[in-house]
Amino acid sequence: MSTSESKLKACETKKHILIIDDNDAVRKAFTLALEETPYEVDGAASGEKGLEMYQEKGYDLIYLDLKMPGLNGTDTLRELRKHSSDVPVYIVTAFHKEFFQELQILEAEGIAFDLLKKPVESDQILMVTQSVFEGPTVQDAGH
Amino acid sequence: MTYQLCLYVTGNTSRSQKAINDLKKLCTEEFQDEYELTVIDVLSQPEAADQANIIATPTVIKSLPRPILRILGDLSDKDKVLFGLNIEPSGSDGFS
Repeated sequence: MSTSESKLKACETKKHILIIDDNDAVRKAFTLALEETPYEVDGAASGEKGLEMYQEKGYDLIYLDLKMPGLNGTDTLRELRKHSSDVPVYIVTAFHKEFFQELQILEAEGIAFDLLKKPVESDQILMVTQSVFEGPTVQDAGH
Repeated sequence: MTYQLCLYVTGNTSRSQKAINDLKKLCTEEFQDEYELTVIDVLSQPEAADQANIIATPTVIKSLPRPILRILGDLSDKDKVLFGLNIEPSGSDGFS
């Protein structure tokens, strides 16, 4: 395989990640955590923008905030699943029953998602992302 | 020796079912009847997930035999799961 073919293949197989969160600092934290990885990271400041970007570009993994003005996380995920049933989506939220009520409705509708606990540290973002693309990741006992 | 495993998932969605099925298949193939598998739905039991310091789903914790180890993510690759939990595949000479 020539160098240009190798580059093209690497580009084709590059994983794309979308962070949907209205908080600039959160989007930046995800981007920084993943900047040394081979993955390409984009951010969207609203559910509406995230859906638009997903339809334009397509993504291999989505991190989605739950509480956002406008289209919130659950409604964004409902819309997203109309276009893609298989892209992995992590809803980033605190593990509290009050936040889970809306998520239980989503689950009852058969809408698939996973959870990432808030607040999240950079090494945890990296670990979860790697577990999606590279298989199961060992979690340190300290985390 | 009985293996004790706990799997934390999100509800009863297709992704959760896949994680449960992958782990059950692995347990049956590797441990026959010598295992106890508990499945915890984080949506129904957030306190349990909090106590176990779960940061994401799906997560598997192996509590026996020691040491306690945990892995998270896709469980479909049996060899990677066994390696992550420090369990030698049955019929092998160990990890090389």
